[in-house]
Amino acid sequence: MAEHPVLGYLVWAVLFGALFAWEGLALSHISGTVPTLSAAVHAIMRYPFGRWALFAFWLWLGWHFFIRGWQFLLRA
Amino acid sequence: MIRAAADAALSSSLVKSDLVPIATGYVLVMAALAAGLLLRRGADQGRGAEPAGGPQPGAVGWLRLAGHLAETFAGGYLVLMVVIVAYYFGLVRYGGNFLESAFSGCAELLGIAAPVFLAATWLDGRRARRRSAPGRR
Repeated sequence: MAEHPVLGYLVWAVLFGALFAWEGLALSHISGTVPTLSAAVHAIMRYPFGRWALFAFWLWLGWHFFIRGWQFLLRA
Repeated sequence: MIRAAADAALSSSLVKSDLVPIATGYVLVMAALAAGLLLRRGADQGRGAEPAGGPQPGAVGWLRLAGHLAETFAGGYLVLMVVIVAYYFGLVRYGGNFLESAFSGCAELLGIAAPVFLAATWLDGRRARRRSAPGRR
């Protein structure tokens, strides 16, 4: 944590906060025009390339979080 | 002895840097999903909508699912590899065994995720069939 400026973490926190706020707004039905995250994902997944791109994103996240560096899990 | 201490330090650092953010993110996402599900269920009950039925089982259904899964896995894997090669080697010129790690690491993840996903789908289908079986409310 000390190696990176706090501002960088703050930006990530704001981005994630905005994402959850957007989802909350969509779920609350205050504005009927805001699609939920699942509705957006559903729309993207209608197309093969959208499905591949989403799966690639999932794979990238999983690879970074669970496979890289976790030697004790998959020790050679 | 030194190796054990280093391993312990690595595990502690992994818990702090990986496990805590993942657990926090997981709890936040699950809470948002639960809230959405509760809200949707309330809206559906208000409209008198029927709950969605589970997937229809059968050989054709499993074949279609397998085809869909294979296409998505292969497509996603290829897209990611293209992006990694283009970005890390074309743009930022990142060396080392990064590409090899990406190829093998993502393949390992697929190997772990695919059977788990298939097992979860099978269990979900079985639960849906039991719920919709005659004589059961």
